[in-house]
Amino acid sequence: MGTSPATSDDGQELPVIELVNVWKRFGAGSPSEVVAVSGVDLKIRPGEFITLIGPSGCGKSTLFNMIGGLEPCDDDGSILMRGRVQQDGELLGKVAFMPQKDLLFPWRTVVDNAILALEVEGVPVRQARERARAMLPDFGLAGFGDHYPHQLSGGMRQRVALMRTFLFERELILLDEPFGALDALTRAMMQRWLLDVWAEHRRTVLFITHDIDEAIFLGDRVVVMSARPGTIKCSETIDLPRPRDASIVTSPEFMAIKRRLLGAVEEESLKSFEAARADARRVGA
Amino acid sequence: MIRKIPALAPLAGLAVFLLGWEIAVHLFAIPEFVLPAPSAMAATIWTEAGSLSLALAVTLAEALGGFALGIAAGLVIAMILVSAPPLEKAMLPLLVAINSVPVVAYTPLALIWLGIGSASKVTMVTLAVGFVVLLNMLHGLKKPEQGAIDLMRSFGAGRATIMWKLRLPAAMPSLVVALRVGIVRAMIVAIVTEMLGAYMGIGWIIFQATQQIGFREVWAAIAVSSLASMALYGALVWIDRRLVWWK
Ligand SMILES: Nc1ncnc2c1ncn2[C@@H]1O[C@H](COP(=O)(O)OP(=O)(O)OP(=O)(O)O)[C@@H](O)[C@H]1O
Ligand SMILES: [Mg+2]
Repeated sequence: MGTSPATSDDGQELPVIELVNVWKRFGAGSPSEVVAVSGVDLKIRPGEFITLIGPSGCGKSTLFNMIGGLEPCDDDGSILMRGRVQQDGELLGKVAFMPQKDLLFPWRTVVDNAILALEVEGVPVRQARERARAMLPDFGLAGFGDHYPHQLSGGMRQRVALMRTFLFERELILLDEPFGALDALTRAMMQRWLLDVWAEHRRTVLFITHDIDEAIFLGDRVVVMSARPGTIKCSETIDLPRPRDASIVTSPEFMAIKRRLLGAVEEESLKSFEAARADARRVGA
Repeated sequence: MIRKIPALAPLAGLAVFLLGWEIAVHLFAIPEFVLPAPSAMAATIWTEAGSLSLALAVTLAEALGGFALGIAAGLVIAMILVSAPPLEKAMLPLLVAINSVPVVAYTPLALIWLGIGSASKVTMVTLAVGFVVLLNMLHGLKKPEQGAIDLMRSFGAGRATIMWKLRLPAAMPSLVVALRVGIVRAMIVAIVTEMLGAYMGIGWIIFQATQQIGFREVWAAIAVSSLASMALYGALVWIDRRLVWWK
C-alpha cells in the first residue's frame, strides 16, 4: 500500500501467489503413503476472486494449508509470494486464512472474536474493537457485538468468522468452504452478501467449494481439481458481468458455463467415489 | 424473592438437620462421648472461642497458603509440560506414580524434613493441591483442537501467544474443577498433618482433646472447621463464575 505494485521483468503485475509444481505426500515412503496434492501450478493475480472446486478428499484443504504456511509443501515444488520463494513457515501471518469450521472461541464475544488476529499482531485492544464495531453492520451483525458465539445462528457465526478474516488485512484471503454447513437459502444470501463485502473491501480471494453454482456465481475464474491425487484438471474464466444478482444463475450464459464445467466436475466426483468404494472393498477383504 | 431461594434452601436444610440431631440426642439419651448435642457443641464453641478461633486462623492460613502455592506450581508446571511434549512424556509416569499414593502418606517425611511448624503443613497442602491443578490443567490446556491452534498460527501467533489467548482460556473450566477439589483437599491435608505433629491448629486441638477425652472439644473443632470449609467453598463458587464468565 502506498508503494507501486510489484511488477515482473516484462512489466506485468506479479501474481499475489504462484504455485509451481506443488506436491504433498503424507507418510512418504511408507506403504500407506497418501498423495494428497500432485503437481499443482496456479497463479493468482491481484484482486482476483478464484473459486476452487473438486470432489471431497481431493486435497483442497491440504492445498490451502500449504498456501497459508501451516504445512510445508514437498521439496520438489515451491510457493512464491509476489515473485519471492517462501520457505517453510514463512507464509504464516501473511495470508488471511478461514478454516472450514468457524472455530470461534466460546469465551470471546463477537467483537473480541473478530479482533483475534489484530490482537495477535499487537494492535491495542481498544483501537481494534473500534475497528470491529464499525464493521458490524457490513457483516449483518449490528447489535450483536457483545453476544457470545453460543447465542448466534450458524449463518451469523460464519459471518463473525469472515469478519475475523477480513479484519486480518492481508492481500490474499483463503476461504475453505465457508458456507458448506449452511442451508440453501442462507447460503444464497451469504453468497450475494460476500460479493458486496468483497466489492467494498477489495481483496484477492481463493474460495473452496463443493458447489458448482456457487463456484460460477462467485468467481472470476473457476479452477477444477481432479480426484485424489489432487491436481488441476482445468480452469475456466467467468466473464459474467458484475455486480451479479441472484437471477444470473438462470441466464443462458451461466447455463452454458455450467454445462461445460459439469462434465469435468462429475467425472472427477465419480472417480473419487469409485476409489473410495475400491478402498472400502480392500479394507473389507 | 426467587433469587434468594438458592441461598435459603441449604440453610433451611442445615437447620432441620441440626434440630433433628438435637432431638435425637435427648430422645435416645445418647451419651456425650458418643455424640454430643448441637447445643452442647455450640456452648463449647462459645466458651472456647478464643483458642478455637486462634487455631482456625492458623489452619486456614496454612490451607490457603498451600492452596495458593499449589495453584501457582500446578499451573506453571502444566504450562511448561504442555509446551514441551517430549518433557511431558518423560515426566508423566513419575508424576502419576507420586500421585497414586495418598499425599497423607508423605506426611511423616514432611514432618521429619521440615519440622512440626507451619512449613510442613503448607508443603503438604501445596503438594496435594499442586497435583490436582497439574493433572486437570494438563488435560485442559490440550483441549483446543488442532484447527484452532492452526488458526492462531496463521495469524502469526507463537507458542506464548497461543498459550495465553487460546490454551489458558480453554482450560478455565478444568481449572474450576481443580479448585473445587483442591480447596477441600487443602483443609483435609492441613488438619491431618496437624494431627500427626504440630503445636497449634485445628488438627492439633482435635488430637489434644482426644488424648484428654474431651469429646466436646473434638466436636467443636470439627464443627468450626467444617463451617470454615463451607465458607471457602462458597467463596470459590463466586470466583468460579468469574473464571468461566462466558457460560
Ligand atoms: N495429516 C494427514 N495425514 C495423512 N493424510 C492426510 C492428512 N491430511 C489430509 N490427508 C489426506 O489427504 C487427502 C486430502 O485431504 P483434504 O482434507 O485436503 O481434502 P479436501 O479436498 O479438503 O476434502 P473435503 O472437501 O472433504 O474437505 C485425504 O485423503 C486425506 O485423508
Ligand atoms: Mg476440506
